[in-house]
Order: sequence, then C-alpha cells, then structure tokens
Amino acid sequence: MVFSTVVFLFFYLPIVLAVYYLSPVKYRNVWLFIANLVFYGWGEPVYILLMLFSICLNYTSGRIIAGCRTEDPKKAKAVLAVNTAVNLLLLVVFKYADLLAATFNRLTGAGLPLPGLSLPIGISFYTFQSMSYPIDVYRGDARPQYDFIKFGTFVSLFPQLIAGPIVRYKDISDQLDARHESIGQFSSGVRRFVIGLCKKVLIANNIGALWDHYAAASGLTFVGAWLGALAFSLQLYFDFSGYSDMAIGLGRMLGFEFLENFNYPYIAKSVTEFWRRWHISLGTWFRDYLYIPLGGNRRGLPRQLVNILIVWALTGLWHGANWTFLLWGLYYAFFLILEKVFLIRFLQKTPVFGHFYTVLVAAFGWMIFQLDDLASLGAYWRSMLGFGGNGFIDAADIYWGRSYLAVFMIAVLAATPLGKACYAKFSEPLRSVLTPALVGAALILCTAYLVDATYNPFLYFRF
Amino acid sequence: MTKRANFAVSVLFILFLGAAFVWNLILPDKAFSESENRYLQTFPSFSVSSLLRGEFTQKAESWCADQFLLRDRWISLKARLELLQGKKENNGVFLCEGERLLEPFEMPAPAVTDRQSAAVEHLTQNLKVPVTLGIIPSAAELYREYLPEGVRNDSQRAAIDRICTRTHTASADLLTTLKAHKEEYIYYRTDHHWTSLGAYYGYTALSEALGFTPASLSSFDIRTVSDAFCGTAYSSSGFFWVSPDSMQTFLDSPQELRVLRYDTDVPVSGVLYDETMLQTKDKYRFYLGGNTPLAVIETGNTDLPSLLIVRDSYTDCLVPFLLAHYSQIHLIDLRYYRESISDYVESNGIDSVLVLYSLENFCTDANLALLAG
Repeated sequence: MVFSTVVFLFFYLPIVLAVYYLSPVKYRNVWLFIANLVFYGWGEPVYILLMLFSICLNYTSGRIIAGCRTEDPKKAKAVLAVNTAVNLLLLVVFKYADLLAATFNRLTGAGLPLPGLSLPIGISFYTFQSMSYPIDVYRGDARPQYDFIKFGTFVSLFPQLIAGPIVRYKDISDQLDARHESIGQFSSGVRRFVIGLCKKVLIANNIGALWDHYAAASGLTFVGAWLGALAFSLQLYFDFSGYSDMAIGLGRMLGFEFLENFNYPYIAKSVTEFWRRWHISLGTWFRDYLYIPLGGNRRGLPRQLVNILIVWALTGLWHGANWTFLLWGLYYAFFLILEKVFLIRFLQKTPVFGHFYTVLVAAFGWMIFQLDDLASLGAYWRSMLGFGGNGFIDAADIYWGRSYLAVFMIAVLAATPLGKACYAKFSEPLRSVLTPALVGAALILCTAYLVDATYNPFLYFRF
Repeated sequence: MTKRANFAVSVLFILFLGAAFVWNLILPDKAFSESENRYLQTFPSFSVSSLLRGEFTQKAESWCADQFLLRDRWISLKARLELLQGKKENNGVFLCEGERLLEPFEMPAPAVTDRQSAAVEHLTQNLKVPVTLGIIPSAAELYREYLPEGVRNDSQRAAIDRICTRTHTASADLLTTLKAHKEEYIYYRTDHHWTSLGAYYGYTALSEALGFTPASLSSFDIRTVSDAFCGTAYSSSGFFWVSPDSMQTFLDSPQELRVLRYDTDVPVSGVLYDETMLQTKDKYRFYLGGNTPLAVIETGNTDLPSLLIVRDSYTDCLVPFLLAHYSQIHLIDLRYYRESISDYVESNGIDSVLVLYSLENFCTDANLALLAG
C-alpha cells in the first residue's frame, strides 16, 4: 500500500487509528502487528511469508546471541555472521538476481534464465532495519527483545516499512515497551503527515510531469535539459522527504518518535554536508554497520579513502539493481574523497560557490541515478553542458517553463528553511488559528489530486 | 501550539478522514460512470484464492477510488487548481479561447502510418471496384493558433500527406475544405467529433472522388436536437464548467429508409437518429445509434449505386448527406467485424468503397490490418 492513495488515507488509516485508540494499551502492539502485515501484503500477499521469515530469523538470532555473547563469544559471532549472511542473501536473491544473471550472461555468453522475481516492496529498508538488531545485541548496544509480537511490530512497522526512515532497533526499543500518546504528539503527527502529503502529492507528482516530458523529449536544448534536471532533483527530494515526513507523522500519531531523515539537503555548501542532510538514516546505517567496522578514519588516510569507496559503491547499489547505481555511488565517492583531501577547506571559505557547486553535483548525479543507460546519460549530460547541438532554448521550453513556473518557485522555496522560519515569526494566537485552517485546506487540495489520479475516462468511445 | 490548537488539528484530521470513510461506506455503490463511460468497481467479493493472487486487494483499491464521494467535484477542483498555477491544460486537454477544448496531435512513428497505408493499398489491389481514402483531421489542426505557443502539436497536413502518398488509392482532401470553413461551427468545442455542419463540408470534399454532385447547404432543413452535449474532451479535462455543445440534424429520416444493424448475426432494425441517446451522456450516439460491427442502410432509391464505408464514428453524422446518392450504404467497423472485406464487396455487389477515418483513429487502430484480408 502507498500513503498517497485514496485507499490508504480514507479506509486503512481511519480503521487503524480507531481500533488502535479503542484497544487497551496491552493489545495495541498486537493490533499494529496485524495492521502492518495487511499494509505489507496489500500489493503482493505471498510476500507476507517473506516478511514473517525475516522477523523469525532475526528474532531467533537475537535471542541466541543474547544468550551466549558473554560466555561463548565465538558462538555469538558465528550466529551473527550466519544471520547477516542470510539476510543479505535474501536481499541479493530478491533484488539483484536478475542483474547478476544478466551480467553473467553478458560476460560469459551463457544463457542463464532470468529469475524475474518481482521485488518485494521495502525489502532494502526492512532488511537493513532488522539485521541491525542482532548486531546491536551482539555489541551490547541493545537489550534483546523476548516478545515476538513487539519485535515483529518493530520490523514491519507500517509508517516506515517501504521507504524509510531506516529505524534502528536501539532507537525505538523503549517505545515498543511503552508509549505515551498525547494530543500534542498526535497533533504534531497530523501536521507532519499533512506536510509530507502535500510535498508528495502537490509538489513531487506535479513537477514530476515536467521531468517526464524532458526525459522523453528529443532535441533537448540547454535550457530544456536544465529544466528537466532541476525538476527531477526537486521531484526526488519532495517525493522522498515527503514520504519520510508522512512516516514520521504517522509514527507520532501512534506514539512513536522516529529520527529525522532529511534536513534541507539543497542548502548544503558541500557534498559532504549534502549527505549529512539527505537520507540521514541510510548514511547513519552505513556509518555504524560498515564504515566504522571497516576502520573508518582511524587507520590512516589511504585506508579511509578505500573505506569511503567501499561504502559508496554499496550505497549506490543499495538504491537499485542496475550498474548505473554503482556508478552513481562511485561518482559521489569521487567528490567526497576530493573534499576530504583538499576541497573542503576551500569550500568553507566560499559558501556561495560551495552551494552552487553542491547543487550542480547533485543535479548531474541525479541523471546517473535516473537514466537507465550510459548512452542516454551521455546525451543528457551533453545537453546540460551546452554541447547537445539543439540550441539554447526553444518555444517548447518557454511553454513548459511558464506552465511550471509557479510549482518551481514554491518547490525551491519549500526546499529551504525560509518558510518555516517565517511561520515561526507569527504570533502564537495567529498560528493557533492558522495551523488548523492550513491543515484543512491542505487535506482538501490533496484529496482533489488523489481522486483525480484515479480518474480514468474510458475513451474507447472516442471512435 | 496551544492545547486548543492541537485539539483543533487532531479533531479536524479525524473528522475529515472519518467522515469520508463513513460516507463512502453508507453511499450505495454506483455501477456505471457516465462521465468516464465505464463500469465502476463495486465492492469485490472475497475469496481466499483471489486474495492470494492479489486480485482482491487490487479490486478493493479500485473500489475505494471509483466510489469516492463527490468524485466529479474533486476532479473539477483539481482542474481549477491546475489552471490557477498558470497551466493551460488538464489531463492533456487544453482550455482555449471561446471555451474550446483541444487535444494536440502527436505524429506517430512513420513505420506506424506506413503500415496503415499498406493495408489500404492491399485492399485497393484486391478489389475490382474503386476505393477512396478519406482522412479527417482533428480540431487541433484547424485551430492550432488557439493553443499556447510551444505546445507540441504536430502537423496533421504532413501526416495525412504521408499516409496518402504511401498508397495508390485515390484520396479526398478533407483538410483543405474543412480549413476553408474553420470560422463556422464545424467541430464540437467539447468533443473530438465534427458537427453535422463539419460532416456536410466533408461530404462536399468527398463528392468529386466518389462521383456525385453535392446538394447545396441551403437545400437542407437544419434542426437543433440537443444543446446539452458534453463530449469526450469535456469528460477527460475536468473542466466541468464549460458550456455544452449543440447538435443538429440537416434532414429528417426519409420514410422509405431502412437500417439493419448486425450487432449479432441476426439483424435488427436500426434508425438514422436514435432519440433515446439524447437522454444519455454520450449523446453523439444519436447518429445511427452508436457503434455496430455492420449496418446496412437501404435508402429507398433503387436505381443508384451502392457504397461500402469502412468507418469510424465520424461517419455516423455524415451518412444522412449520402442517402440521396446511393441505393445502399454499408457500414463496417473493423474493431468488431472479422470477415474478409473483399468477400463482402463481392457477395454484396458493392459498387465503390470508401475508407473514412479520423486521423487519430487511422494512426492508432491496429484492426486496419484486417483490410488486407
């Protein structure tokens, strides 16, 4: 199920919230667990079994590790290694099998059949989330969870199940045992959810049409290429951060507090800073479970650079089963290493340049991320650099630019903390009236767009 | 945030979701949507196997969306919001001056139109009787200056020329004639079809190739049959505040006229004008009562030739003008008709064949390949 649909907002969510708050506190986790599985199984019911397997696996490993980590550390380590391997194997089988088989075929000329498994939604997120738990238990960072329902609720928690943030067990273990829902928290959850919904439905989907146009257009001009690239940069940010906002908001409605996942990444003044502000929970995960175990920056500069390379190659691949994602990861590794070695000192002195440079790196980078192959990437980059051979601007660019000018301006503004700062300047009584009014208006606007998305005139009678 | 504001936000959210939830449950399911011209999803029946196949959840999701309360109002609100942002279109339909709704044309790949031309060529080669090809442009060609500058709206002149030069079939130039009368009411504003007046000019454009002398416009008795026609462009656009079109007839159905519709193998009698259709949303079906695989019209003029039209719906309002020039008019719709066209021509003693399509349908209808059979 997806948050930005009629079925989620007007059927699933009212039922989940009503039953949740009508249930006695001790049954709330049970209800959430059931609701999570319905949410997860909505698109592909059989994959509930995969989810249950993942829960059982990590739950059992966690218990075994907790039982022997002091008296038999070797055994604990072995169990952890096996558990991690099985988790990663599941991810590889379900996400990367086609890519690996196709690559193998291309390199060797063999004719391996492609498995063609449909990707279980959110597998990249929940695999990372659940495999962090036995690691934390092994390290002594988290107490083991003996209650299966609570653990299952954690792994399958629907707000962040399919697109993050990646919540580590140790960050919400206390909340699984006891939550203190309050009207203040609920209301802040509603505000956050509605902000996220607007980001997704009103901005991301809207400006996404501009990118769709330019991604398919032939004869790309310089201005056209940039309109497309910036539209996609904004679409992705509002889509993804909107989803995180909705997740955080829904979590609060249910009494959970998740960590932030985005912090205005496009105001960053270096690529290093950009990645501290973009998809924070993924960066944290790779830092804690890969970069630091590899030695981080404690073993000298050369080793640190190798570590960055490894982490970013895998970060890239985590985003999708295509070698272009590996390239995208390495592209970022290049800039991060560059900054680490010398560039960052220079950037800190010239924030305006730093900001410009960061946005440029991101925009070029998103094209690697989004275009399927190197040929189309090459063509697109050439147009962005002014070597596309189709001129600077044409009438179509003016038309598209004008049509999306309003959304563009709203999006750029909303990607900075300015709006929030201005709103905070309003007096308390004004905000108390304005906030409910804005929430109501936003709900109405989003509903119009959500219903329209399902409007599907059957025009075969066009004949 | 004050406690009261927190309370207001929470209650508002719960009421909004809850009210829609309850209302949607109470509201009886609608089986058919007129504005979308399709059956809506009603509450799906549950079975374990449909659940496991993922079919139940999919249908339940469609049900939620299809049966959502005040559906048309939400759609219309979204359309207004799009215009408010400075956009000129919604769902691919442009709202132009004079409440004219236009859908721009996109030229398909040359291979596509060439394949269609080849099918017409095949038919011409296979038949002993003359074949004429007529391609009807859409309003987006005639009124292209109404569209904002920079919108992709490919030349229909170029498309039609390419189609006609790729076959030896004689063709009639409808575009030039229609263009000469563009200031008149020849296309509906809210629909993709031509009006009866547009069809009249189409008829004059076809006359030379088909070999008859067209009647003059003043010889017809024009009657308005509806002024509440909201067409397909209206439906897909969401611009539900645009005023409707009016529909005309140019002559009454002659006494001697007989229409046989072969909706199945057993023919039933049809009509030139189906008044009952004027009460429905899809009012264009007034002309000839809507699509059918095969219809045979006996005009009552016995000593004239017979004509076969391989048609799309544009033909339906053209037929009244042709009655005076033929003894029989046969209408075949390739989407439903599966027999050989050559056999049909032979066994029914057809004297000439007209392949008459709107450009959009000519480019997209894969069934045209059946002409070759």
